[in-house]
Amino acid sequence: MSTEVSTNLPPHPEKATLEGKNKVLGFWLFLGGEVILFGSLFATFIALRTAFGSGPASQELFSLPLTAVATFILLTSSLFSVLGIQAMHRNDLSGVLKWFGITVLFGLAFLGLEIYEFFEYVHEGHTMSSGAFGSAFYTLVGFHGAHVLGGVCWITGLLSKLPKKGLNVVTAPKLYVASLYWHFIDLVWVFIFTVVYLMGKVG
Amino acid sequence: MAGHGHVAHSPKRHTGLMDWLTTVDHKKIGILYLVAGGFFFLLGGLEAILIRIQLMYPDSKIFIGATFNELTTMHGTTMIFLAAMPVIFALMNAVVPLQIGARDVAFPFLNSLGFWLFFMGGLLLNTSWFLGGAPDAGWTAYAPLSSAFSGRGVDFYVLGLQIAGIGTWLGGINFLVTIINMRAPGLSFMRLPMFTWTAFITSTLVLFAFPAITVSLVLLMFDRLFGANFFDAAAGGNEVIWEHLFWIFGHPEVYILILPAFGVISEVMPTFSKKRLFGYSAMVFSTVLIGFLGFMVWAHHMFTVGLGPVANAIFGVATMLIAIPTGIKIFNWLFTLWGGHIRFTTAMLYAVGFIPTFVIGGMTGVMLAIPTADYQYHDTYFVIAHFHYVIVGGMVLGLFSGLYYWWPKMFGRMLNETLGKWNFWTFFIGFHLTFFPQHFLGLLGMPRRVFTYQAGVGLESMNFISTIGAFLMGVGFIIFIWNVIVTNSKKKDAPADPWDARTLEWTIASPAPEYNFAQTPLVRGLDALWTEKMAGNKKMTPAEPLGEIHMPSASILPFLMSVGLFIAGYGFIYHMYVLIGVGAVIVVSCMFTRSFKDDPGWHVPIDEVERTEKEARA
Amino acid sequence: MTAHANHSEENKSLRPQEGPKRHIITFIVSIFLTALAFFAVAYMPESPFVIPFIVLIGLIQAGFQLYVWMHLDQKGHEFPTLGIWMGVFFVAAFIIVFIYWLGGY
Repeated sequence: MSTEVSTNLPPHPEKATLEGKNKVLGFWLFLGGEVILFGSLFATFIALRTAFGSGPASQELFSLPLTAVATFILLTSSLFSVLGIQAMHRNDLSGVLKWFGITVLFGLAFLGLEIYEFFEYVHEGHTMSSGAFGSAFYTLVGFHGAHVLGGVCWITGLLSKLPKKGLNVVTAPKLYVASLYWHFIDLVWVFIFTVVYLMGKVG
Repeated sequence: MAGHGHVAHSPKRHTGLMDWLTTVDHKKIGILYLVAGGFFFLLGGLEAILIRIQLMYPDSKIFIGATFNELTTMHGTTMIFLAAMPVIFALMNAVVPLQIGARDVAFPFLNSLGFWLFFMGGLLLNTSWFLGGAPDAGWTAYAPLSSAFSGRGVDFYVLGLQIAGIGTWLGGINFLVTIINMRAPGLSFMRLPMFTWTAFITSTLVLFAFPAITVSLVLLMFDRLFGANFFDAAAGGNEVIWEHLFWIFGHPEVYILILPAFGVISEVMPTFSKKRLFGYSAMVFSTVLIGFLGFMVWAHHMFTVGLGPVANAIFGVATMLIAIPTGIKIFNWLFTLWGGHIRFTTAMLYAVGFIPTFVIGGMTGVMLAIPTADYQYHDTYFVIAHFHYVIVGGMVLGLFSGLYYWWPKMFGRMLNETLGKWNFWTFFIGFHLTFFPQHFLGLLGMPRRVFTYQAGVGLESMNFISTIGAFLMGVGFIIFIWNVIVTNSKKKDAPADPWDARTLEWTIASPAPEYNFAQTPLVRGLDALWTEKMAGNKKMTPAEPLGEIHMPSASILPFLMSVGLFIAGYGFIYHMYVLIGVGAVIVVSCMFTRSFKDDPGWHVPIDEVERTEKEARA
Repeated sequence: MTAHANHSEENKSLRPQEGPKRHIITFIVSIFLTALAFFAVAYMPESPFVIPFIVLIGLIQAGFQLYVWMHLDQKGHEFPTLGIWMGVFFVAAFIIVFIYWLGGY
């Protein structure tokens, strides 16, 4: 049955049904709430960003090359997920699998870098308890990292069922909101590298 | 739905307990919210009575010290999060889809999940009474009292509210999408019934306010469980962050509570005055404005923190601004009554009683908005009197009005009017006896959250009167419960439109059939039903031919997911990682099951729709 | 459901004719702006303008994500736009208060 539908994929399959429309709108509103969630964490971080306590200062701690690589990886993955959505609009199942597959791989690479980074920092005495800066840093960046992990699991789950279910008006909204989520994670990262890392380097 | 129409299986209907655990029907979820909210209201009310018993006479030693702290903390937390919110969601679930001519909410599954998360969170919080003591840091849980100087009770507060809060947040998104996407043809935004408008703005506030409490609870949890230093000044932390984040949530929260009550009053007054609502567009505009300003005034709870004259002045003026849209509403209600053909049913009594009571609460609010004066009022019984006038005198009277008004639509039976009037007068008089003297207790300097007071300083008689009033309110609530029991034993004979009302929900049978509208109605004006009545039509013009009706399938997953989080909650509280793991596995496997198994739903066949409609008319 | 099954030919012409060009250009500009922010911090950390500069660049990039990649510029996105910008507005208020009255920045 799914094959019958996928050969007749409507132009904007993510919004072809009321369920799809509801899902996309509901997800946008969810992101509106997430803006407040991350905004509150950013406000907290900004208020505490110089309270280093017993840990090292942010100027000594952060390494710009590492952050630059992480940023490049995440920005690129955002491009791949938008290419995946274009493939979906062309009803190109293998394109969707390819682009979203690469998105997931880049997400994993980003997570790997972040874990390595946290490991190094703990080694240098920058921990959750070393000062209010440490608490705010791990909470904000960790919340973002958890979102990346969530996105990786979510998209992997969707892709694993896609070859069997095919592209149709049920699967398309799911892919579409997953890509919205991925872009939003990237958007949050833009502010993390600006406010946490670059401003931390400036002092 | 599309693409699956022809494979939908025959209806699989559960009965009994299983029906309630698995239902995704907004009307049943509304009833679940009402029952759970009523249960927690009873608990919170009991705690209030115990507080008043302790304060009945000076130097009492019945509930002192930590016990008193637990009572005040749990009274506030229970009433705000576990009693007021769910009863609001009960009315929104029962009424909003019917008022907009929809068959259900946008996300029936999420609706059920929202309820069960709220319920499990509330249950988790209340089990603290039996597990080493309830939270005792006040419902505001200010740091560092809550972060460094409180026992395990605060962990229950953090986890219970976190779980319940996620549920409420999902509910908010659900109603926003429902109202935006699922209105009947012809029902433009400026034709929306006022209750639906207030539900819309309240849901917007839920959407933007709850993430802030999520973050503040996370910070508190990290401080308490993982050694973070957010609120530890010695390590560079700042406890005022808690106050900001809490009130960034907490102030919109009081508008989340009051706006639906405004909506109820705006429905009840026109119906029982036989007039259209005076100044509909001004009412809409003032609702939006109150919602917006509600986000910009949080620091008025913090005037004495020491933010300085500039911050205090900005937030003080912003707070006073809210009196303008609220005043618009009060006058519009009065003008709606003016020259109307007024019927004093119980619902109308509550609505009329609401106006002077709420005006008193609003006026003391403007008094509190003056920072210099607030230094005197802060943390005294004056504040207690103020917010009980707004929340009980405003919201609870509004909710009672709504319950008497929509009871026939929810349950198919009319509540008894004689008992209803007893209910109103005992509750109303009891309320003013309890809280009016507290204004003066506060001005005399009686501090809140202190478990006793001295004899001979002029506080005895007013405290005594206040306690008598609390008992009278208790009697009023028991009469309401009695009314519900009496009504429930009668047969379901409520007509579709018992009040000669104006909006869409009264065009269908009482109680509403499973699919709500056999045919989606075509809306041709503000007050859709009244428009048709004035045009001499017996019923709505349908916007579609009669057809089989698609319904979402029932599911046990929301209940299981909530149980999973409930278990994981204990894991966090007791540092038992096995429990966290078990809970997480349950939650994640439910999520994957939901994601992988598409729900084709099922269809109510045409002959069943026709049969149901015929029975309803007979 | 059956409605669009009968109109597959029509659908082909309605299908959005979007190429990857716009996204790739946005991506390159995005990378360039990011690099600019990193260089500003690496080579002029003492300048008083560096923080406003990198925050501005961050805001531009956020706009790219929202309006180009998340398609907020297309019609039918009125409520999402409202939702996101209301969130941004409230967050701006929080951050201003946290900077001026909590000793942040």
